[in-house]
Amino acid sequence: MNIETGRPDHIEDYLVQLHTGQWFGWSDAKNKVYANLIIHDDSKTKPSESDCTSGLKTLQDNFDTAKTNDVTKKASGKQKLKDLGLDDDEIKALTGA
Amino acid sequence: MAIDKITTPAVTDDSVTLAKMAPGTDGNIISYDASGNPVAIATGNDGQVLTSTGAGSPPAFETLPVGGITEADLWRINSSFQGDASPVASNWERADEGTFGKIGTGMSQSSGVFTFPSTGVWLVRFIRNVYVNNGDDRACKAEIYASTNASSYIKVSSSWGFVQATSSSFTHNSMLASAFIDVTNATNFRVKFYVAGVNSDTATYGDSDANFTWVEFIRLGDT
Repeated sequence: MNIETGRPDHIEDYLVQLHTGQWFGWSDAKNKVYANLIIHDDSKTKPSESDCTSGLKTLQDNFDTAKTNDVTKKASGKQKLKDLGLDDDEIKALTGA
Repeated sequence: MAIDKITTPAVTDDSVTLAKMAPGTDGNIISYDASGNPVAIATGNDGQVLTSTGAGSPPAFETLPVGGITEADLWRINSSFQGDASPVASNWERADEGTFGKIGTGMSQSSGVFTFPSTGVWLVRFIRNVYVNNGDDRACKAEIYASTNASSYIKVSSSWGFVQATSSSFTHNSMLASAFIDVTNATNFRVKFYVAGVNSDTATYGDSDANFTWVEFIRLGDT
């Protein structure tokens, strides 16, 4: 994932949340592509490459949706407080934003 | 007529000049041996210092013991994972970026068990970076376990942190566990590292290009 934004940007982000523990690794950790994916835990099945890419896409979509919702909810919540008669300073004092 | 013997009383104090002494080897120093007879101390090599060799023998030029740090090493995990690991057994690598340098032989590692290259008092540090995006974790742990017999381990350091999930983004924290290990037997002393938490969604961050979760080993001195 992007360490600054937190947005998933690699299939490792999908793999990390697929199972707990150190069930996977890379034959070449400098080149983390699907072909280099190795499974340490025999009880776990190696996901397909398409599972990995689609899984990453889902994570990204969820992340983006959550971000959008966050902005939307803040705006709608602030508007509802205004509708109740609070001014900006009062809202900031309550919510910090 | 040549004088073949001069007794000590015939030599007045402060009368023997350097020019009157027999030639010697450049850099030699005059001392006395165990019998009390004069002896030339061999010059030695550049950088050596004159040290006492104890009673009964003349001093000698010797090389000083190596000072400073003689062993320093750093390992890290190169992949992230979620949940606990007891111990962190996989995906270890020695740091290998262009700026990295170790001192000495370095540690040996197998399945997350680290062996020391030599006896001595060692500083062992374990730094764990974590992130969550699904629920808080009030007890993210980084722990060091040590063994003196290569089989049974005891916890020697435990560091706890709290990481709180925020909406729509990952949040991070780090833990540092540290211990001095007096390694009296390099064959049998071992260390390994545990991570744990109360939220199984908590992830330990690993990377192959930089240190995100790593261990440091520095030999501080003799045991």
